[in-house]
Amino acid sequence: MNRKKDKGFESPRKSVIGFVELTIFPTVVNLNRIKLNSKQCRIYRVRVNDLEAPFIYNDPTLEVCHHESKQRNLNYFSSAYTAAVSAVDPDAGHGELVIKVPSELWKQGDEMNVLKVYIEFSLDQPKGGLHFVVPDVEGNFYSLGCLGWPSVFWFPCVDSYSELCTWKLEFTVDASMVAVSCGDLVETVYTHDMRKKTFHYVLPIPTAASNISLSVGPFEILVDPYMHEVTHFCLPQLLPLLKHSMSYLHEIFEFYEEILTCRYPYSCFKTVFVDEAYVQVSSYASMSIFSTNLLHSAMIIDQTPLTRQCLAQALAQQFFGCFISRMSWADEWVLKGISGYIYGLYLKKTFGVNQYRHWIKEELDKMVEYELKMGGVLLHPTFGGGKDKDNPTPHLHFSIKHPHTLSWKYYKMFQCKAHLVMRLIENRISMEFMLQVFNKLLSLASTASSQKYQSHMWSQMLVSTHSFLKSISNVSGKDIGPLIKQWVDQSAVVKFFGSFAFNRKRNVLELEIRQDYTSSGTQKYVGPIKVTVQELDGSFNHTLQIEENSLKHDIPCHSKSRRNKKKKIPLMNGEEVDMDLSAMDADSPLLWIRIDPDMSILRKVEFEQADFMWQYQLRYERDVVAQEESILALEKFPTPASRLALTDILEQDQCFYKVRQGACFCLAKIANSMMSTWTGPPAMKSLFTRMFCCKSCPNIVKTNNFISFQSYFLQKTMPVAMAQLRDIQNLCPKDVLNFILDLIKYNDNRKNKFSDNYYRAELIDALTNSLTPAISISNEVRTVDNLNGDVRLILEEITRSLNMEKLLPSYRNTITVSCLRAIRMLQKNGHIPSDPSLFKSYAEYGHFVDVRVAALEAVVDYTRVDRSSVELQWLLNMVQNDPAHYIRHKILSMLGKNPPFTKAAESPLCNEALVDQLWKLMNSGTSHDWRLRCDAVNLYYTLFGLTRPSCLPLPELGLVLNLKEKKAVLNPTIKPEQGPDTTQMTGNTMVSSVSMSSGVAPPPQGLKRKLDSVVGPLGSSPPEPGQVLQEEDSSKTLKIREDEIDMESPHDSQAFIHHHLNILERPSTPGKEPPAVDQAVLSLPVTPLPSFSKESTSSSKHSGDHHHHHHHHEHKKKKKKKHKHKHKHKHESKDKERDSHTFSNSPASGRSVRSPSMSD
Amino acid sequence: MKSLMSNSARSGCGKATSSSAENYQLARRRTLQVVVSSLLTECGFESAEKATVESLTEMIQSYISEVGRCAKAYCEHTARITPTLSDAVVTLNEMGFNVDTLPGYAKRSQRMVITAPPVTNAPVIPKALIAGQKRTHPSHIPSHFPEFPDPHTYIKTPTFREPVSDYQVVREKAASQRRDVERALTRFMAKTGETQSLFKDDVTAFPLIAERPSSIPYLSALLPSELELQTLEETDSSEQDDQTDSENTPVNNLNDDPGADKENSVLPAGGVVPLVKVSEENMIDNPYLRPVKKPKVRRKK
Repeated sequence: MNRKKDKGFESPRKSVIGFVELTIFPTVVNLNRIKLNSKQCRIYRVRVNDLEAPFIYNDPTLEVCHHESKQRNLNYFSSAYTAAVSAVDPDAGHGELVIKVPSELWKQGDEMNVLKVYIEFSLDQPKGGLHFVVPDVEGNFYSLGCLGWPSVFWFPCVDSYSELCTWKLEFTVDASMVAVSCGDLVETVYTHDMRKKTFHYVLPIPTAASNISLSVGPFEILVDPYMHEVTHFCLPQLLPLLKHSMSYLHEIFEFYEEILTCRYPYSCFKTVFVDEAYVQVSSYASMSIFSTNLLHSAMIIDQTPLTRQCLAQALAQQFFGCFISRMSWADEWVLKGISGYIYGLYLKKTFGVNQYRHWIKEELDKMVEYELKMGGVLLHPTFGGGKDKDNPTPHLHFSIKHPHTLSWKYYKMFQCKAHLVMRLIENRISMEFMLQVFNKLLSLASTASSQKYQSHMWSQMLVSTHSFLKSISNVSGKDIGPLIKQWVDQSAVVKFFGSFAFNRKRNVLELEIRQDYTSSGTQKYVGPIKVTVQELDGSFNHTLQIEENSLKHDIPCHSKSRRNKKKKIPLMNGEEVDMDLSAMDADSPLLWIRIDPDMSILRKVEFEQADFMWQYQLRYERDVVAQEESILALEKFPTPASRLALTDILEQDQCFYKVRQGACFCLAKIANSMMSTWTGPPAMKSLFTRMFCCKSCPNIVKTNNFISFQSYFLQKTMPVAMAQLRDIQNLCPKDVLNFILDLIKYNDNRKNKFSDNYYRAELIDALTNSLTPAISISNEVRTVDNLNGDVRLILEEITRSLNMEKLLPSYRNTITVSCLRAIRMLQKNGHIPSDPSLFKSYAEYGHFVDVRVAALEAVVDYTRVDRSSVELQWLLNMVQNDPAHYIRHKILSMLGKNPPFTKAAESPLCNEALVDQLWKLMNSGTSHDWRLRCDAVNLYYTLFGLTRPSCLPLPELGLVLNLKEKKAVLNPTIKPEQGPDTTQMTGNTMVSSVSMSSGVAPPPQGLKRKLDSVVGPLGSSPPEPGQVLQEEDSSKTLKIREDEIDMESPHDSQAFIHHHLNILERPSTPGKEPPAVDQAVLSLPVTPLPSFSKESTSSSKHSGDHHHHHHHHEHKKKKKKKHKHKHKHKHESKDKERDSHTFSNSPASGRSVRSPSMSD
Repeated sequence: MKSLMSNSARSGCGKATSSSAENYQLARRRTLQVVVSSLLTECGFESAEKATVESLTEMIQSYISEVGRCAKAYCEHTARITPTLSDAVVTLNEMGFNVDTLPGYAKRSQRMVITAPPVTNAPVIPKALIAGQKRTHPSHIPSHFPEFPDPHTYIKTPTFREPVSDYQVVREKAASQRRDVERALTRFMAKTGETQSLFKDDVTAFPLIAERPSSIPYLSALLPSELELQTLEETDSSEQDDQTDSENTPVNNLNDDPGADKENSVLPAGGVVPLVKVSEENMIDNPYLRPVKKPKVRRKK
């Protein structure tokens, strides 16, 4: 397929008009319908080979559950949502836009001639997909960035990563603008009136529509001085920052090209820095879009590595993700894994092994924590093995069948796990082979990409789990099947508990490793595990076999205990060191033990060893991961020896700075535990004085000189950690507070080459940390007069810093951010009156995004603490109305993290109006932004759980009767429905009959209450009214419960399409949405049905049946549809299979015991 | 501090002398008033308004003072220091007074004799500040010449103090100075503009300058402030060029942009392209740097 696109933009109105021309080479005869994806576009006309073609447009994701529905439980929503997404899933051959090929062309299609589809569309004030930023300043100034993972929201296309085609793109924009898009810019031509320019792009490399992007703005252009094919774009006035920030991009290029032994696949590369970016980094074919906030000047230390990492990530995704695309959603992990993995290699090379290992540990911990809390993350879900396998992750409140339904956090963890698993594969087959595999994938793809018009070859550019694994076994000859089975096909992590005893007689170390594989998110591990034992005579690796029943492992020791001999002790890395062995157990030669030191299992290890062993490990083990582990462990051993070990680490400048930072906080904790026995000045004070203060006057800090980054980071961290110290009254010691105040006072950056904004921000953070709850007489109003003296000093500093920021703003307004946090902390601790108005003003649009987030965080916190419904409303309004997508996402995720209430607790905030509002938000309010919708789902889950929110009136009794009544009436009506001829109109009659049956049409609420009293006794044992309903195909009793209704919505969306297919047969009436009447007519009886959450387990079996009978008639239709897919897909057989499952299975029925994650 | 002390001491001295000098002058003035009154009586007035007497007194005082001043001037003109009779005569002549009539007037019959002014202490001439030993005349200068003035009038006296080189004090001072400036500045801004307050009861305590949303918030947050740029210039001169360079570019840009928009229809060449230096442009072939083409007569689709 070839595609050509043309667009005209109108900035003030924020609208786009355009057309798409698709060239389709039918692969099968009888192509009479074409389905395309198109979200939020208004389609004006469609022509096929210059003939007007009728079309219908329906997007079921606009409104997931139809508004008549009073259902408010998440299970219902999730399955309906999944069904809605499935209904338009391009990989299954569906789409929102169905075009009927004019019958004149049918014959042509038979001969497999080319079809040219021409679609005119417009986007008016798009809510998602394209984001217009039009600052309120003079002159024509706007920018526009493309966003909206994982769907293309801005032009009709086959929105799949697996549908490749070549592209010709034309964009007509205002003459002052630059349009940056994928591919090579061929030429730029003025329009006839010379007011606009048209940018002509050609992308000869087959690319999926999802990898096409666009960015328009009054960009400043910088051609990379090292690589002239690379062009950078930034918004006006930022060019100097761009120059600096991009000055090392060529190194990243060189690195990737070298390790992959493959040239960058595209002929050019563009980086665009836009305002209000959806995510920090997003990669598209031959271009990457970044947040403008990543730009920095040469004076900024902290942002530099972060920006470089973002660039490296973007570039890694250029190779794997853009150039090489995925076969299906289930193969996503391969691409994310490879790009993450090679990004890791870049990290290792640029930032060092320590940083790399630290990063791996950090990612592993993060992922393990998430999985243990939320349940497993499944990399390679397999669907369609049967009904029961439909939902492989029953522990999640969302479906992982589509990227659109994933919680954002889950997706992050998914990426994290993907690259960790790649690293495991590397461990197994060696890096050399790994890179060979990548090279092979890339070279196959680039050969394929150069094959013009041979689209069957292009599938080489798609990677699938299967092909990837095959390459691995071809290249390495090793079988990594078990590894894949364990970590890819299966979710969850391993949790080890280790302890040991030393048997002196046998000179054997008796190691016991237990596993917890019963709690959520855990799995059982069987296989090898590496254990490293540091003895007096050296360090020894042992590989143990974890088996079903063996917990204990005997490891022979190499050395006898002999502490009298003075001899250097060899370490793992061959280094020999002197140790003071007086602390250790005289009988044992063991210095320390590490389980799985290389992190070659996705695990959490809780290992028990004596405090002195941790201390030795901290001091002498050279691996940063070991050091960090020991720091964590030492928190539990508040002894002078631990203190000494930590201070020694702090002073050692060869030690990795992040370890030293960790040691600071640990030391503070230990000091607090040792409060009564602590001697000498407060922890770290003398150390800080020695390192950073003047020799002649120890109370004054040296003028800033941040040339040495290691000490810079330490200097930043130490005050923050010190401020956590507490004295016996649980207050921050006066000494420490004054010390920090002095640091602020004497801070002098005049001679420094670098900006001190982060340092000053951390000093404010330190002040925040020093705050303790005010001693308050109950209900006393906080006034200026009763302000505590210390707090007054702190407040003085904060107000001055905050005010100075207005005059001399710091980079990324770091100081404002810290000040806002400090003020919230003062409020929270009752020093100053709790009041959200300040934060609300800082949260308004028009502030720097970091400031807004900090302010919003404070408002969210206020909402929780003060249970304020006004603020909650305010936040939710902002979620609906704020122009910046990131902020909207952030509000919801912060609300989810710090919820105003949870399902467990009662709260006055939890009321019906809120439920309705949130429901509306996720049901229809966020249809333009998947991420936001999933955030809303998450929040709903946090607040109300999976079942019907407790604050809603529970109208079970009334409804039971209602249903019974309905069924009694329904029964005769349904009978004729068995006839295959009956169409949706039956549904219609059904609805009407129900409403008739409820009597003189009273409002449902009133009805419930009325009936409640009447049929009270019936409620306790619901009658089996379904019996009346027994049909020949449903042999089971019909019980009324939520899962049953789950089935309704999928049907709805399907029904829509079918209904419209019917319409198609008649002369079409082009329109964006079907008329509302249809909607009302079509929606099946979803009206009030009760929820019996307790019975949900047994329901799954049933619902299938129920479904069957309802939609019996639909299957006929489906056939028509299916054969249509054949034309469009090369992998029909698979798709067809999946396709049929889409109809017959709803994930709601997948609460099965046979799902893969539970099977072992 | 020393100077301050001496200052105050001096001013104290001045006060003391002025009071005695005032007494002295008041006495003289009173005599003059008597003179005027007697002259009026002599002329036959019976009474006079106080204001008139006062005016006449003032006039007579001015006259006498002027005579004295001129006489002094004449005498000094002839290199003397004490006026002689002839000086006075010349003066009087000069002022249009016939001296010859004076003896006759003095001897008139109806003249009244008035009492001499009360003896008051002549005003103490304030002692000149003596700092150090006055120099004696060198041998070639006759001793009747005036003495040398006080040494401080011609000798360079170092009045500055040893600069405080104590590191601690310097830092202390710099810190408190900066803090004072900052505090004053922010207070001023808070006083003159809108504020937000943390306390409801006392809005003036800890005033916060009200935040102001900006249309392009990222600019101020990302671009280094001028102060930082200055610092950078001081610390690193090699980067200075870069920085000023960069500073200029955006400014030009801003000026250019609106203009460019208007001119675009006329001058198609003035697109976004000129941002990159021309010299580089020749070297690099980048599609974004190529000039925008004019539309062909028949645009192909």
